Amino acid sequence: MLSLNDITVDIQNSRILRGISLAVGAGELVCLVGRNGAGKTTTLRTVMGFLTPLSGTITFNSQPLPGMPTYRVAQLGIGYAPEESEVFGDLTVEENIEMPTWTRPRGRPALERVELAYKVFPKLRQYAKRGGTQLSGGERKMVSIARALALDAPLLLLDEPSEGLSPAIIPTISEGIASIRKLGRGILMAESNVHHIPDYADRLYVIERGEIIFSGKPGDVRTRPEVMRVITGTA
Amino acid sequence: MTSVIDILLGGLFHAAVLFLVAAGLQLVFGVQKIVNLACGSFYALGAYFGISCVNWALALGLPPSLFLPVLIGSGILMATVAPPIEALLRTVYRRDESFQLLLTFSLVLMTQDVLRIVWGPTPQHLGTLSMTYGKVAVGSVTIPTYNLLVILASIAIAALLGFFLQRTRFGRILRATAENRDMSAALGVNVKWVYASVFTLGTMLGTVGGALVVPTSAASLDMAVELVVEAFAVVVIGGLGSMRGALAGAVIVGLMRAAAVTVYPELEMLAIYLIVIAVLIARPAGLFGKAAI
Repeated sequence: MLSLNDITVDIQNSRILRGISLAVGAGELVCLVGRNGAGKTTTLRTVMGFLTPLSGTITFNSQPLPGMPTYRVAQLGIGYAPEESEVFGDLTVEENIEMPTWTRPRGRPALERVELAYKVFPKLRQYAKRGGTQLSGGERKMVSIARALALDAPLLLLDEPSEGLSPAIIPTISEGIASIRKLGRGILMAESNVHHIPDYADRLYVIERGEIIFSGKPGDVRTRPEVMRVITGTA
Repeated sequence: MTSVIDILLGGLFHAAVLFLVAAGLQLVFGVQKIVNLACGSFYALGAYFGISCVNWALALGLPPSLFLPVLIGSGILMATVAPPIEALLRTVYRRDESFQLLLTFSLVLMTQDVLRIVWGPTPQHLGTLSMTYGKVAVGSVTIPTYNLLVILASIAIAALLGFFLQRTRFGRILRATAENRDMSAALGVNVKWVYASVFTLGTMLGTVGGALVVPTSAASLDMAVELVVEAFAVVVIGGLGSMRGALAGAVIVGLMRAAAVTVYPELEMLAIYLIVIAVLIARPAGLFGKAAI
């Protein structure tokens, strides 16, 4: 479904990504793990079209993405929940979640998509009329993921869904991600904490200083002490 | 008492026109973060083009009583200048405000020359056409019915704008884009199209404002700069980016100007800018100051 092949990205003359290659198949949960500044967010933002790679190819369902405006990438069917949630404070929770049904009207009916989002995060229903500025960090994260899901996208890019949240709210987010996976949606999840990687992840890529240094099953990474040292920050 | 009603009605008429231009300015700033000095040019273009359209319509045999719809239509038509200008402004969206101010001010100066070339240096006017609708008595004062119609039209436009921004899907998309254009794009919003639409709407408010004012005062080459000075007083008082601020600021500036003109005309600008300075000192963000629409 999504394929990145030998992607190189510079930001302000600094090389951030160096030949990144990864793939996410339909319905797969793939994790991109790395320390802060390793290049996880840059990878997701490059897929979304916020950054243009210097070289390499990115395809989504065989369609090349580089050079495509971000809104077209979203309309093709890639949902994005950024690390900072970026919930619209001037809109209510309900309006935030409904918005992708206005911008990408094709596919499932709007009502069904919004209901699905509430089904994944039932707690949001009671906050439906609340403004985006009146939410806690965990609630904002839920809205951000629910909103990406309401795009009716076959692939979701989730940037650090557990980052900065209280331990009490992390299980709710994890359950939501598990529900999305059960719906058959593909997920590419960036994560800096190796302990937040779900056991059922199909594949794991470890990124360090803009390079993929490991790819394989989540269980396999634990047998590679040199990689574990990098992602636990003890290297 | 008569003077008070005179000031009130005169001030509200001026506020009605000022509100339209300031609302366009606020809308463009709120969504696109561009301080658009060219709003004065749109106002002047609307005024000159409105006069020409009414004269053409009258020459074609249109009854004089239908000049108001012709003026509104000409204002809407003149807003077609917006898309190419917005395309030019795209080059400075992510640059320092000084680039935006320089570019939009150069548009003001260029428009002044275009007006001079097309319509000549002599002020243009519509004679006594505004009296076609007669006069109406308000207490002990009689005012042209046309002035009252413009005040009512402006109130209706303010209500419609409020409804559009708060209650419609496109209004919500505008507010979301104003807050975070990158996230809006990541949710499928074509930000370029939104910007072009907002700029066209903002321009239309200015051109319609200019068209509505010409039955009561002449269109002249310096009207763009004069209007920019007043429109900025409105946004500083009301708060940059706030639509309610545009309304409050326009009423304050309109009434203050009318009072000064009646009592001591030399104080017209001084009185307005004393309020601007007071607001800048006491409440720098303006009465409704927050950078959102």
